[in-house]
Amino acid sequence: MKVSTGNPDAMPPGLRGLSYGVFCWLNRHITVLRGIGAVLRLWPSLGGRFGLAARASAVKGVLTRPRSFSNRAHAPNLVAGDYLIAMDPGPVYDADRALLKTRLAALNVQAGADQEAQGRLVELRQLGEKPFDLIDDYLMWIAFHAIQPVFGTAASEVAAGAGGDVNDRGLQRQYLLEIRYVAGQLLSGSLATLGIARRAEVCGDSLRARIKGVSGNIRKAWSVSSPSEFIERNAVGLAWISHPVTVQSGALVVQELLSRPKVYRTLRAMAAQTGDRVWEDERFRDGVRDHVLELMRFRPIFPLLARDVPRDTEFETGGRRNAQCPGGGKVALLSIAALFDPRVVSDSGRFCPHRNWGHEEGLRWLMFGYGHRQCPAKNHAVDILTSALIGLLTMPELRLARDDGRAITYDGPLMSRMRVRFAEQA
Amino acid sequence: MVMMVRQQMICIVASDWPGGADLPDPVSKSLTDLFADVGVVHFASIALLPAMSDAQSQLPSLMLELVTEEGLRPYDLLYRLVNHPSGAMWSLYGVYWREQPPLASQRNQELLAQLMSWCHIADGGFVGARDRTVRQIEMEKRLLEQTRIEARALKAEHGKDRASFALALARWAFQNPSLEWATEPAPRSFWRGRGAGAAAKVAYPSLIVGLWLASLWLVGALSRLVVRADTWLFDRSNSVVQAVFHAISETSRYLLGASGRFLLAFAVIAFTLWVFFVALPALFASWRRWLDSLGRELDRPTETWSSLSTYVAVWLVGAPLVLAGIWYVVVYTFWPNVVERTIRPWIPAGPGWKQLVIGALVILVLVGIGALLSRLNRLLPKANAWFFRPHEDDVDRAQQVHQSIEHCEAQLVRRTAHMISLTDMRSPHWWSVWWTRVFLRLVTFLGSVLFTEGRLGEAPGIHFGHWHIIDNGRRYLFCSNYDGNFGGYLDDFINGASVGTTLFWRWTQLMPRAPAADDQPGVAEPRAFPPTRFLAFRGVKSELKFKSYARDSMLPHLYRFDACNSTIDEIDRATALRGALFGERNDSNDEQIMRAIE
Repeated sequence: MKVSTGNPDAMPPGLRGLSYGVFCWLNRHITVLRGIGAVLRLWPSLGGRFGLAARASAVKGVLTRPRSFSNRAHAPNLVAGDYLIAMDPGPVYDADRALLKTRLAALNVQAGADQEAQGRLVELRQLGEKPFDLIDDYLMWIAFHAIQPVFGTAASEVAAGAGGDVNDRGLQRQYLLEIRYVAGQLLSGSLATLGIARRAEVCGDSLRARIKGVSGNIRKAWSVSSPSEFIERNAVGLAWISHPVTVQSGALVVQELLSRPKVYRTLRAMAAQTGDRVWEDERFRDGVRDHVLELMRFRPIFPLLARDVPRDTEFETGGRRNAQCPGGGKVALLSIAALFDPRVVSDSGRFCPHRNWGHEEGLRWLMFGYGHRQCPAKNHAVDILTSALIGLLTMPELRLARDDGRAITYDGPLMSRMRVRFAEQA
Repeated sequence: MVMMVRQQMICIVASDWPGGADLPDPVSKSLTDLFADVGVVHFASIALLPAMSDAQSQLPSLMLELVTEEGLRPYDLLYRLVNHPSGAMWSLYGVYWREQPPLASQRNQELLAQLMSWCHIADGGFVGARDRTVRQIEMEKRLLEQTRIEARALKAEHGKDRASFALALARWAFQNPSLEWATEPAPRSFWRGRGAGAAAKVAYPSLIVGLWLASLWLVGALSRLVVRADTWLFDRSNSVVQAVFHAISETSRYLLGASGRFLLAFAVIAFTLWVFFVALPALFASWRRWLDSLGRELDRPTETWSSLSTYVAVWLVGAPLVLAGIWYVVVYTFWPNVVERTIRPWIPAGPGWKQLVIGALVILVLVGIGALLSRLNRLLPKANAWFFRPHEDDVDRAQQVHQSIEHCEAQLVRRTAHMISLTDMRSPHWWSVWWTRVFLRLVTFLGSVLFTEGRLGEAPGIHFGHWHIIDNGRRYLFCSNYDGNFGGYLDDFINGASVGTTLFWRWTQLMPRAPAADDQPGVAEPRAFPPTRFLAFRGVKSELKFKSYARDSMLPHLYRFDACNSTIDEIDRATALRGALFGERNDSNDEQIMRAIE
């Protein structure tokens, strides 16, 4: 049990702000991280000295040894309570994972995402050339409607809270904002400034209280007879981990796509050729899906991952020497470097959605983790993003709207706003 | 850092309160449930602030004081409170809306925006029990209670042997799975942890100065490098590029020199002050007595010949000395030659030994004058008594405390006491506000960095004290949550932090005001803060006047929330017990355990 989520800042004044600023800056300027990754791939022993794995072989090696490199590194950042992502293998982990699989199997995210995307686009079409927020007005709702059925018949109550009006869209928005801050803490972690961390904790408290208020409904919807603690832990975890990460990935995908006008034009042309069958054409959908994965490779939401080292061990850096990892420490994985490792990814710097990954197909999904601990909902997430992107491709050309300052606003390492507009009416 | 402390204590001042002076019980209860459920509010209170006499509307303002955990931004806190499913905040503030918005989300959004517009973060504040969340205090309190119960059971077996008694208690604690949380040391912020020593306090300003000097040097060096590179690359001189970078280099050189001279002058002043206030009092008892006497006379609340003559003497001697010090630092920093030219004529001509002899003679003459005055002082006891005799303090009436204030204080017996004081800023307001803010920020900073163990100066028992300048700089609101009672609390300030307290209050006054409600206190006659000397002296040392002034400025609360109801001592004791129980077994920890459970 945590006594105090809000720990005071033990770092010297100014240092936390500085390190958090650098971390956020690196997250936003992913090419710099790629550059650092390239250097560390070249001299892997150098990274190894600082507990950094950069080569694909090293990153995969660490991620396939969950007992030596523990996911507990995430635990301090789970402000809403413990969940699968930060658990070591064991009975609790197994039970939670089994429930998650059952809940995911009950989802049909593609149908939900397609339907919501089409509905949203009708509204956005009304705006004409007026700017809108891609995150708050589009992606957030698509992910919400695709994922929320994970709570079954209790989905509306979870979003509105106990006693809340299930038709009050403002309450749903509030819920989505809260889980965004909770998820943001997973990304910024222990580096976050006290203000950011406390906001996440308050939202985490709120989420727990919300789930507790409707745990009866969730139990009924899930048809399980487990203790409330089990239901609440899983419901809280499912609420915050799925939605915000998908939305943020969607924003990163669009950001990367807009920086590649040629790719964007090609995709739009393909959508135009497909015509009215754009939502049903499986070939087209597969093509878009490949693009989504490739765009995510260039802008992964977790370019850096951390793992705890419970006892003394070492990992193969790919250099002459293994990296020594003293027990009680941490290792950092530069997944962005692994995704561009030319030793395993041919022509890695080139944007190539249809690349043949061969036996390295698993590496293609590295942004979702690797091996046994890979995100079980990775296909769901990509399906949602594919639907969202297909919707945008059917519309006039999308452009960043810089009318009132910056089009993209950040909240720490995360994008909080992405102002865009459709260039011309179809 | 200062901002984080200020944000911990907020007051929401809602003007033109139409809701009357009674807070319905359901509203109070829902607020208490809300604060308890949210679990981040240490203290909360509600009071009515009377309208200013020249205000258009004579309706009072409703003040909600919220004291929260560290790091929480007011928006995030209010967001959580407003959006709580209980709707407690709406039940309090809903009277401001003629019609309730149809959707809960819309209602909450409007309320949140309104509350943010009414929200004042503290202009200055002090936190006694630092680095502790509400949950931590509660759980450590339970640990203390459980340990005491267990200690009673174990006492029969280990009562006389302290080490084995402590070991048995520690074993019990370690074997208790419900206490697993306590095995982690209690969190400490930097200034209470690694930065608690003097080294960190010195290192920070040194680092800043070092970085400043290094950056100046670097800019100069780079400029000179560019000039040389330009000359070498293009084989030219006097180009525009060279002129610009030469100017940058010269500016950097000048600033570096000025910074160095400033540091030297500052060091000389600091050394002189150290000799005057630290070294000499440590070496000579008579000097120490004289300094104590000087401070006492400046603080003396009554008019006597001794205090008057000290006051005049400080004006005649002290003020020119301070001005000369400032002049020396400024002139030596920017125009060092002027200082040299000015000082040289004052130095007697002749060899060094003559100058040393003259200096020694001057010191001897000064010591002789001091000894003569001291002798006269002892020889003339009657004159001495007349010179130092205090007059009666001139409080012209017995202090009458309003019934509502007494009622509130009676409610809080055996709980954390609470004080709300509302005064007016003196005219011109901008001047009073500016100076008050400067000193409030300074004390907030010192409180964060130096006074980290629950005592502000020598004043103990303050949980959270905060000052707000409200109503566009017209009024000054002070709220405090403290242990003990009002009289003892002010005594602690008068004796333990008199300079700071005088500086916070000296720019205030009490203007006539009507009561906020029928059964609440008003101010009939204008009152001034007790007169001060040299900004920081006297003031609160005029004890009766100050207490009377503070009493007259007080307002009763309508609502009070106290999350933990523990004194600072109890909080400290519980945290210390946690560290001692789960720390290594040694004499110090054993002693700590015994102290905690006694």
